[in-house]
Amino acid sequence: MTGPLFDIAVAAASFFAGLLGALIGLGGGIIITPLLVLCFGIDIRYAMGAALCSVIATSSGAAAAYLRDGISNMRIGMFLCIATTIGAVCGALLAMIMNPSALAIIFGVALLATVLLSLKKKSEALVEPEDSDPLAKSLRLPGEMPVAGKPVAYGVANVVPGFIVMWVAGVLSGLLGIGSGAFKVLAMDQIMRLPFKVTTATSNFMIGVTAAASVGIYLKKGYLDPALVAPVALGVLAGAFAGARLLPVAPVKLLRIVFLVAVSIIAVQMIARGLGISIG
Amino acid sequence: MNRFPILLARVMVAGTLIAATIIAAGLLWYLSAHSGEPPGDHIFRGEPKYFENPVQMVRRTFEPGVVGERRSLVMAGIFLLLLNPPVRVFLAAVGYLMERDRLYAAISAIVFAVLLLSFFW
Repeated sequence: MTGPLFDIAVAAASFFAGLLGALIGLGGGIIITPLLVLCFGIDIRYAMGAALCSVIATSSGAAAAYLRDGISNMRIGMFLCIATTIGAVCGALLAMIMNPSALAIIFGVALLATVLLSLKKKSEALVEPEDSDPLAKSLRLPGEMPVAGKPVAYGVANVVPGFIVMWVAGVLSGLLGIGSGAFKVLAMDQIMRLPFKVTTATSNFMIGVTAAASVGIYLKKGYLDPALVAPVALGVLAGAFAGARLLPVAPVKLLRIVFLVAVSIIAVQMIARGLGISIG
Repeated sequence: MNRFPILLARVMVAGTLIAATIIAAGLLWYLSAHSGEPPGDHIFRGEPKYFENPVQMVRRTFEPGVVGERRSLVMAGIFLLLLNPPVRVFLAAVGYLMERDRLYAAISAIVFAVLLLSFFW
C-alpha cells in the first residue's frame, strides 16, 4: 500500500478501534497498537507512540463531559495522579531500554489481564463516608455524586494499596503506550471501593494526565512519527465521538463478547510475535 | 470548585478540536506532496531532533524548498494535543489556589512538576 491509501486504511482501522473502545468501555490504545503491529506491520515503538497520543486525545474529550456533569472526583484524581505520573515516567524509561520482542510479550500479557479484569463484576460494597480510611479523611477524598438530582455522599477505603496499584497502572501506561484504564478502574473500584460511575469518570480524567507523563519521553526518543500519529489520533478521536453517540442503541452485550474473544486471540498473537513464532 | 470544572471542560474540548483541525490540515498538506511514497513505519529510525522544539517545528513547516518537512505542521498540531493534560493540571492548581486550598494546590503542583520534568528533562 502506498501513501494516501495506507493512511486511509490506518485511519479507518483507528476509527473502528475508537468506536469499539467507547462502546465497550476499554480505551482505544490497547486495541490500536496490536492492530498496527499485526495488520499493518508497523514497528511496535511507532505503534505505541501513536496509540499514546490517541489516548490523550480521547481522554481530553471524554473527561470534559464528565467534569461538566460533576461525577468525577477531582481531588481523588489529582492525588492518584501523583502515583500514575511517576509510574508512567518509570515505565517509559523502562520501555526505552527494553527490546521490541519483550515489549510485544508484555503487551500480550497485559491484554489478557485486561480481558480478565473486564469480565470481573464491579464491586457493589460501597463504604459509608464515616467508615472511610483515616488517611482518606485527612486528604478530604470522600465526595458526593449526583443521583437523580440529589447529592449522595460516598466514602473511600484503602488509600495506600490503591495508590500503589495506581503506580503500577502508571508503569504499564508508560511501558506499553496505553491508557491502562482497566487497571485504574481496578484500583478505584475494587480496592478503594468508589461508586462505579465516579471510578470511570475519574479514571478518564487521569488517563490523559498519566499518558502525558510518558509522551514527552516517547517524543524525545523519536517514537512519534507524525505521519502515523495523525491518522491514528484523528481516527480514534472520531471513532470515540461516534461511539458515545451510538452507545444508547448499540447491542453492547453482544459486542462485548465478540470483542473480548477477538482481543484474547490478538493477545496470543502478540505473545507469539514476541517469541518469534508466526501464527496464521 | 463549582464554576471552575465547567471552564476546565471548555478549555479541554476547545484545545482538542483546534489540535485535531491542525493535524488534519497538516496531514492533507503533507500527503499532497508525498502521494505514492511507501510508508516507512515498519522500520524504526527515530525522529529528527527538531521535533522536540515547537518553535523549530513551525519554522520548518514554512521553510521554502523542503517539502519533506511539511510533517512539521502535523507535529505542531500533535504537540498542541499533548499540551492539553499539562494545561488541565495547571488550571486545576490555579483553581485550588484561588479557593485557598493549599493541600490540593500543592498536590496539583507536584503532578505538574512531574509532567514538566518528563517533557523537559
